[in-house]
Amino acid sequence: MIYYAASILLILIGMYAVLVKKNIIKIVIGLSIIDSGVHLLFIAIGYVKDATAPIYSRPGLEAGQMVDPVPQALVLTAIVIGLAVTAVALSLVIRLYDHHKTLNINRIRKLKW
Amino acid sequence: MVSLTTLYEITFGGAILAFIAQHTIKQLRTFIVIVTSALGVYIVWRLPSQATDISFRLGDFQILWGVNEYSQLFALLIAVLGFFTLIYSIDFMKERERLGYFYMNFLIVIGGMYGIVYSQDLISLFFFWEIMTWSSFMLVIYCCDDAQSIGLKYFVFSAIGAYAMLTAIVLIWANLETTSLSVLFENFTNLSSGLQITVIVLFIVGFGVKSAMMPFHVWAPDAYAISPTPFTALFSGALSKMGIWGLGIVLLKLAAQSGFYVWVQDIVAWIGAITALLATFYAIVQTDAKKLLAYSSIGQLGYIIVGLAIGTPLSIMSALFLAMLHGIFKAMLFMSAGAVFYRTGSTDMNEVTGLIRKMPWTFLTALFGIITVAGVPPLGGFAAKWMLYEATIQSGHYFLVIVLFAASTAAFLYLYRFIFSLFLGQEEKEYADIKEAPLTMTVPMVIMALFTLVVGVFPGIFINPIGNAMGYFGNYTFNWDVSSLLNEWGNHVDMMTVVMTIGAIFIIAAIFITIKNYRTTRYVTTKDIHTSGEIPTENENLTYAVDFYKPFERAIAPVLKRSIDKTYNLIAENLESAFDFLRYVYTGNGQTYALYVVLFLAVLMVFAELIFGIQL
Amino acid sequence: MSLSPVQFIAVPLFAAFLIPLIGKASKETVKLVPGIVLLYLSYVALNLFPRGLERPIVEHIAGFNPPFGITLYYGPLAAFLTTLVTLIGFVIWLYSYKFIIREPFEKYYMLFMLLITGSTGIILTGDIFNMFVFLEITAIAAYSLTAFLRDKDGAEAAFKYLLIGSFSSTFVLLAILLIYMQTGTLNLADIALKMADVPITMKIFILILFITGLGIEAEIFPLNGWAPDAYSQAPSPVGAVFGGIVVKATIYALMRIVYLMFNFHSVLHFFVIMGVITMLIAEMSAMRQHQIKRMLAFSSIGQMGLVIIAFGLGTEPGVRAALFQMFNHALIKTLLFFSAGYLVFHSGSKHISALDGLGRDKPLTSFFFAFGALAIIGLPPFAGFWSKLYILLSVADAHLVTVVVLILISAVIEIVYYLRVVSRLYFKRETATDVRRTPLSGLAAMGILAVVILFVGLYPNTILDWLTPAARELMNTSEYIRTGLHLNSGLLSINF
Repeated sequence: MIYYAASILLILIGMYAVLVKKNIIKIVIGLSIIDSGVHLLFIAIGYVKDATAPIYSRPGLEAGQMVDPVPQALVLTAIVIGLAVTAVALSLVIRLYDHHKTLNINRIRKLKW
Repeated sequence: MVSLTTLYEITFGGAILAFIAQHTIKQLRTFIVIVTSALGVYIVWRLPSQATDISFRLGDFQILWGVNEYSQLFALLIAVLGFFTLIYSIDFMKERERLGYFYMNFLIVIGGMYGIVYSQDLISLFFFWEIMTWSSFMLVIYCCDDAQSIGLKYFVFSAIGAYAMLTAIVLIWANLETTSLSVLFENFTNLSSGLQITVIVLFIVGFGVKSAMMPFHVWAPDAYAISPTPFTALFSGALSKMGIWGLGIVLLKLAAQSGFYVWVQDIVAWIGAITALLATFYAIVQTDAKKLLAYSSIGQLGYIIVGLAIGTPLSIMSALFLAMLHGIFKAMLFMSAGAVFYRTGSTDMNEVTGLIRKMPWTFLTALFGIITVAGVPPLGGFAAKWMLYEATIQSGHYFLVIVLFAASTAAFLYLYRFIFSLFLGQEEKEYADIKEAPLTMTVPMVIMALFTLVVGVFPGIFINPIGNAMGYFGNYTFNWDVSSLLNEWGNHVDMMTVVMTIGAIFIIAAIFITIKNYRTTRYVTTKDIHTSGEIPTENENLTYAVDFYKPFERAIAPVLKRSIDKTYNLIAENLESAFDFLRYVYTGNGQTYALYVVLFLAVLMVFAELIFGIQL
Repeated sequence: MSLSPVQFIAVPLFAAFLIPLIGKASKETVKLVPGIVLLYLSYVALNLFPRGLERPIVEHIAGFNPPFGITLYYGPLAAFLTTLVTLIGFVIWLYSYKFIIREPFEKYYMLFMLLITGSTGIILTGDIFNMFVFLEITAIAAYSLTAFLRDKDGAEAAFKYLLIGSFSSTFVLLAILLIYMQTGTLNLADIALKMADVPITMKIFILILFITGLGIEAEIFPLNGWAPDAYSQAPSPVGAVFGGIVVKATIYALMRIVYLMFNFHSVLHFFVIMGVITMLIAEMSAMRQHQIKRMLAFSSIGQMGLVIIAFGLGTEPGVRAALFQMFNHALIKTLLFFSAGYLVFHSGSKHISALDGLGRDKPLTSFFFAFGALAIIGLPPFAGFWSKLYILLSVADAHLVTVVVLILISAVIEIVYYLRVVSRLYFKRETATDVRRTPLSGLAAMGILAVVILFVGLYPNTILDWLTPAARELMNTSEYIRTGLHLNSGLLSINF
């Protein structure tokens, strides 16, 4: 249960950062935090208490004693994607700073209406 | 072997070929255009005897093209006018640029109009209707800088009309599962009465826009005035008749079946009459000949609408008669104005004056044109107006007659101004070297002028095909002698005698005046006057036409002040500002957009029950 | 090598990785690779098409039987959309060939190939997490392409896109997670089967997450703030890719999920309302845009609103009309972006006011723009006419006359702003001559599109005949489940 709460908290913290913080680096960090929250949630739903890794080579292990492997696989993929997005985001931040000489998102709004 | 498909193939193919020819072998272009339109005339002429209905499936729809006498009437008008205006345009357009574009769109307009009158189902009707609309738009914006806003206005009004029509088509499809006109006519009464009136009103708006019915006429004067003259002739002569064609079908085939017929009739008739009256007023105060003719066109279309709306056999006859005749005389008038423009470079009636000796044939055409418009014997207009008044009186619309009569009388004012200021009056020095327009322009004009005379003498050559066409609306039987008009009470007017008499008077008068004034006539310019000892300066405009109807203008000023046009512009501007305001939701701040996303999510979550209508 | 749907994903993905390597050897060859790939894919698409129409091809990746493992589902709908994507992709490559000349163009082509991979992947996959992965591939490639020009505005647009796009992926991922939590499966067909047992509250929650997540990429108002910026700042062919390919794939994903999992009617009505709002606001915003590509972007959003309306009707004619509109819009908007690209290039400014009189100087490019404008307004005899007509008819069939009127009002607005540009092109006198010529490859790309648009306009049956089975596939959920899971028809009884 604590995992659920923690992950939802993470998501909310991340959203707060994205929606309120004006610094675009902090916004990117916020996005990463949201991602982490979702990933944690994924792991949490696959978690079975006192179970071990889902490796079939060990004899005498019932399926119920293993954690669900699927969310873990999914999370791995999701982490990679999140990483790629963060990388692109940070490179964009660098470029934005080059052009605008500021990291304040309120000042980066030439395209509007 | 001729069929509708060959007609379309030749016309649209000719359009594309003309465009290609312009960019490859220029000499061929004119040849292609003329041959295409001439073939059009030939095919349309032969169609009734040879064509079979063409039917095929397109998507979900059964497309049906067929020839009936009602369409044939309009198709002939289109073909002939198209041919004449294209011949006229050979010299008229010679010096202009982008001729490939011009001729291509010109032929596409003609093809679109053929398509409209020959389509027997709503989908192909709308299809060709829109083709006609955009290609005519292309021609409206052909010329000048201010063509932009005028063209846009034309297109927006056309689109409103077309979409009204489309809504009606969609409603019919949703309720009757058909697009065929004949099935629609049969099953129209199966629709609920609310739907019936909706469909009728939508169709009337749709066709009314093209026939410049009030209050949808505001596009017309500018669009007519600014488009190149050969096209204006076709525009006013044939294209506006597509609206009439449709109104005829709506009023006489659909509305006549519904319970609202009396209402529809009265309202449309009054709209027509008011259109005629107001347009005439506007025409009187114009100083540009083309604009004057444009307003005159709107007025004439008003008469036609009245005729269709009253719906008695005689009134339908008069409406169709006037429609055909208007096609011809308005083309004549525009062409003569165009000829003046061709030689003098202007159609401003305050500028151009005294061309009668320079351009006699153009003058003759214009003279015949205005006599026909005025509805004075011996030309065809007389018969049309006569029938219209009689039908209106017979059906008991006495007030309507008064309005029509007022409009008709007022029309003399602008007609007189037109002919007087352009052709009569003093000769100006700057126009001393003007020659008559080239043959390609005068010949079509004179042919049509003679035709109005022939129709005046033998109205039967029009009345009999129109009588046949009216078979489309029911069993009206007409047995008209070619050269006389009949009425209910058994009186008849023998047109031959009338024409003979008037002709004789005219000739005697002409001879008398010529003999009397021969040698005493002195040709002077506008500056050759005495103004209480002051000598007029060169730049003073002393043309007769200046302030021609000043008192009259003052009298009708209150009417003109409340221009519907201005109201529309105001609405458009306000709407646009409102729209403009709306786009400020796109603030440009990424965070705001993110906030929108989160809010959207939150709203959906909170109001899920409401939004998705599901009990949670 | 026998033809199989998996090639739609594998070949462009492989090419995407190959392009930087080839780029090391010869820069010029790189330009050719996407063309060859897309030509090959078009060949595959056209060959597989009849088979897909006949009966759906269900491909199992790595040999696991469904519901385990990842499946590809190549039915009539996927067949139609992959064909569209590959053909449009090919034309876009042809156009890019001379348009994208600044370095590092090998990266441009690599990202372009990734976009194609992602889009075909979204369309083909039968696995929801896999769909998410492809969505992300598409999105990341799209962010980078938006910033491709390396200018100030491009970076800004890309950042906004990324910001909103991350929200999109978060919500989609959450939705997938909840689905997995509830049903224990990721296979679309299997989910659809088991969705009936999920509590309604959870179902709605999942649905809302999907609508928000996918709605961002599908440009539903108010989630579309990124779109005008991204469309207008990306290079023109990329704008065409967004409008012609990416959005289409996402709308497909949204509709597939909604139809498959949440088949209640009130949801669909919600889409009609959202579609109307999206359409009206976008068209109104487009009215006074000063930049031509931004105007096109808003118009694109408006058209998507129209598509969403038609999908939301939940009737077979409606779905078919929506697909038809997607097809036509892909062609026409691509043509418009292409011609606008060169118009901007020649006039040297993104502003509409700079286009005055360009019609005299660059007749063909302007002609194509005018052609596209007439087509997108929905005038016959161009393709756009039929799809708009079909949408109107299907809306009227659902007795939503108000919606018919609103669609037509927005069409009038569309007429105003498009024809303003067209008349500016031709009828303003100012003529600045630009000695540079529009390259042949660009003109050829536009020419191909124009010919197809006209052809479809004159012979709508060619497309409509394909669309009927495609629409039926989207509507017929049980058939999808049955073939997707290899069940016998007798075993299946689901009720929503």
